[in-house]
Amino acid sequence: MAVCIAVLTKDNCPLYLTCDKTEDALKMNFLVHTSIDVIEEKLNSTKAANDPRDVYLGQLYPNEDYRIFGYVTNTKIKFVVLEAVSHPIKDGEIRDLFSRIHGAYIALVCNPFYNPGEPITSVPFTKTITSLLRGSYLASGS
Amino acid sequence: QHYFIQSNLRMSRGRSNLDSKRVSSELFTLTYGCMVAQLLKDYDNPYEVNKQLDKMGYNIGVRLIEDFLAHSPSTKRCTQLEEAADVIAKQGFRMFLGTVPEIKNWSDAKDEFSIILTENPLAEFVELPPTCTDSLWYSNIICGVLRGALEMIQMEVKVWFLQDTLRGSETTILEDSLPAGED
Repeated sequence: MAVCIAVLTKDNCPLYLTCDKTEDALKMNFLVHTSIDVIEEKLNSTKAANDPRDVYLGQLYPNEDYRIFGYVTNTKIKFVVLEAVSHPIKDGEIRDLFSRIHGAYIALVCNPFYNPGEPITSVPFTKTITSLLRGSYLASGS
Repeated sequence: QHYFIQSNLRMSRGRSNLDSKRVSSELFTLTYGCMVAQLLKDYDNPYEVNKQLDKMGYNIGVRLIEDFLAHSPSTKRCTQLEEAADVIAKQGFRMFLGTVPEIKNWSDAKDEFSIILTENPLAEFVELPPTCTDSLWYSNIICGVLRGALEMIQMEVKVWFLQDTLRGSETTILEDSLPAGED
């Protein structure tokens, strides 16, 4: 079950972070922050491989309570998803989740009144992300 | 015979010109959006922006009507406002915006009606900033276009927005009225 979704810019500034009600927001913030290092490392190492940039980074690093997944777009916008180990999600679903987050981000950027790089306050975007959080909970919860 | 061949060539060149000039709807939507955002930055006053959009629309409309009439030669002269409204909705909007609105709410004197757009390609993905949610009519350019186009065919109309999905309604409604005394 996804407990937290975060959006970061290419300079790793946080644009948006949301978590499930049951989780501690500060802890989520901290975990996302620590995952930035791992993302950068992965990105720098794959530069030589000349990969296409819309990259699903997979699991970033193991943690006793959470698994952290990363995804980077061509424009170096990073999405980070934290998932509780107690309710694991299938790999295919994680990829699907990321592509939906990406879609929501694209819709946000098409709004002429939103300047890329600003913290995200858009209501439709937050609604989509919250429903994705809840949706993934419903999908894997029994 | 010679003239016939020449006119055929002109027609086919014209058609391929039309194809190569097709622009993706996303580019159009984004262009319009950036224009409105820039106007808002320049004028800072949503009411002023509404006026500017109307003016721009008017200038577009007086030119667009020629294009419209050229591409729909089968349209006959409208004797009543109802026929004109029908043509505006079914042909005009469809040709340029790709959507067909409904015409409803005719007034008793049959000189005022509402155009209801269930989908507005100009406003896709747009969210109004909180400072102008109650004052900016985002697609006001449409009002200007209608006013300009109809003025060129000797119909003086007033067009204004009643409701907008960007302001929370379910549909976008424009009101069109012909002042008394016109044909």
